[in-house]
Amino acid sequence: MSDVSQRPSRLTGGAFGLLPHLLLFVAILALWELAVMTGVITSIMIPQPSAVAAAIWKLYVTERTIYEHFFITLTEAVVGFLIGAAVAVSLAVASALNEPFKRYVSPYAIVLNVTPGIALTPVIIAWFGYGMGSKMALAAIISFFPIYVNTLTGLVQRHGDREDLFRSVGATDRQVFLKLRVPSALPLMFAGFKIGLTTALIGAVVAEFAQATAGVGVLMSRFSFQLNMASSIAALLSMTLIGLILFYSMEFLDDRVVFWRRESRRAAASRAKARRWTALMGKEED
Amino acid sequence: MAVSDSTLSEGAGGGLSLRQRRILTHAGIFLTLIALWEIGSRAGWLDPLFYPRPSNILRSFWLIYVQNGNVWYHLYATMILVFAGFAAGSILGVGLGALVGFNPLVRRFIKPYVIVLEATPRIAVAPLLIAALGFGAPSKVAIIMLVCFFAPFINTLSGVVNVDEDRLELFRSLGASKWQTLRKLVLPDAVPVIMAGERLALTAALSGALVAEFIQRNEGIGSLILVYTRNLNMASAFACIFTLTILGFLIFRGMEWVDHHVAFWKHEPGLERVGRRRRRKMKEALDE
Repeated sequence: MSDVSQRPSRLTGGAFGLLPHLLLFVAILALWELAVMTGVITSIMIPQPSAVAAAIWKLYVTERTIYEHFFITLTEAVVGFLIGAAVAVSLAVASALNEPFKRYVSPYAIVLNVTPGIALTPVIIAWFGYGMGSKMALAAIISFFPIYVNTLTGLVQRHGDREDLFRSVGATDRQVFLKLRVPSALPLMFAGFKIGLTTALIGAVVAEFAQATAGVGVLMSRFSFQLNMASSIAALLSMTLIGLILFYSMEFLDDRVVFWRRESRRAAASRAKARRWTALMGKEED
Repeated sequence: MAVSDSTLSEGAGGGLSLRQRRILTHAGIFLTLIALWEIGSRAGWLDPLFYPRPSNILRSFWLIYVQNGNVWYHLYATMILVFAGFAAGSILGVGLGALVGFNPLVRRFIKPYVIVLEATPRIAVAPLLIAALGFGAPSKVAIIMLVCFFAPFINTLSGVVNVDEDRLELFRSLGASKWQTLRKLVLPDAVPVIMAGERLALTAALSGALVAEFIQRNEGIGSLILVYTRNLNMASAFACIFTLTILGFLIFRGMEWVDHHVAFWKHEPGLERVGRRRRRKMKEALDE
């Protein structure tokens, strides 16, 4: 009931909220366009919005050059992130389970953290070549630390009462870890994944700037050096798009995996469980 | 009894505390790794052309710091830009963050742009800025500024906005002025968050400088790393990278120190220090 009554009001509220935003956006674009047209801003340095729109049209529709580069950069960032996350999570789990291991690994993790990962770019390119491998490697290296530190922090949290409860009903170490420590670490882990994914994209793009044959970063630096600023901004906006895709995919996963943090998701999960439960009961009655 | 026995026997046996033994183990592991690396390289398992030997890296340190001394110039060039860009970017970030935070209308309209900015890899704007501002210091500082801007901006914004409602209520009911609310309620909670943003910003500044130098390739530690790697002088490249590790560590510690002094009320020792000073002052005032 409450769902139905809330929905329309939320919709209209959204529309009313959206209109001023749109107006402001259009006004900014119009002012910008006008400034370039009257020569207040030189179009070589900052191109007018219509030129950027034309460049986007060209990249995405008429010449369709962007797609190849787009997917290369996206793949580099995602694969790099997956490698970095796999290493980070396994090291963090090992560190959480084994105190000496944590003690002897953490200094190296800290050294890796205080070194600007980006400084490794030329070396990584010398090691892994000009192709996608070097971009994935850099993405993996710089996404490692936020994931490691968040996972470790999540796993070693103190639970006090809850752990006492687990112990008092005779839970094994394994059960305490899987049913208490891991679930309560998940929100922090996902926060780490979100940071890691953003930094992975940065790693891929920076490696592309340094040396590469394909990717949005290459496209962008090529356009910049040709002083084709409109296309360069179009390429930059494509990176924003990649960033948004990555961020919202992770947000979606976060919502599904850590469903108990959101009221609506928790309700959906318990509804599904209740359905399964009644189905099971029904079958037993037959 | 058993515990004290074992600690006694340990103390008698090694003559070392637990802490000292841990440090020794750390050093042992570190030296073993280095030795393995060196041996692996000498035995031909690791190509020294790509994976420089520890001994060669040490020699490179000597070379670039003492014998040739060329690293100083580049280090200086980089750090000047880092601090200039950091100062400009973080002041801008805190200023705009406060402006937006205190103004609900501006906050509502700026939100979508912040989300878009957050998703964009900000370092990616580097080629654009270089094309717009030309080669040289201005474009580098602009890149660092841009990279530094965001964390202080967001943290100032959230620090100013996330004021505890109950406490705000209390302040209102006691008739606190706007200035009092700002100074006694908003700032004490916001400053630690802002300082956390500044710490992130300074780290990002170093990365921003490196990217700018990778693209411009004229001076600075980033271009030095690039040149050494291109010449396959990997030992010197690693000496530069470890220099940045040390620099990163100093920045980290330096910002921690600044944080403990600026936001002293969040840290036990700082709180005691300031408390002692205030007690002393009050006592002097009373004595008079």
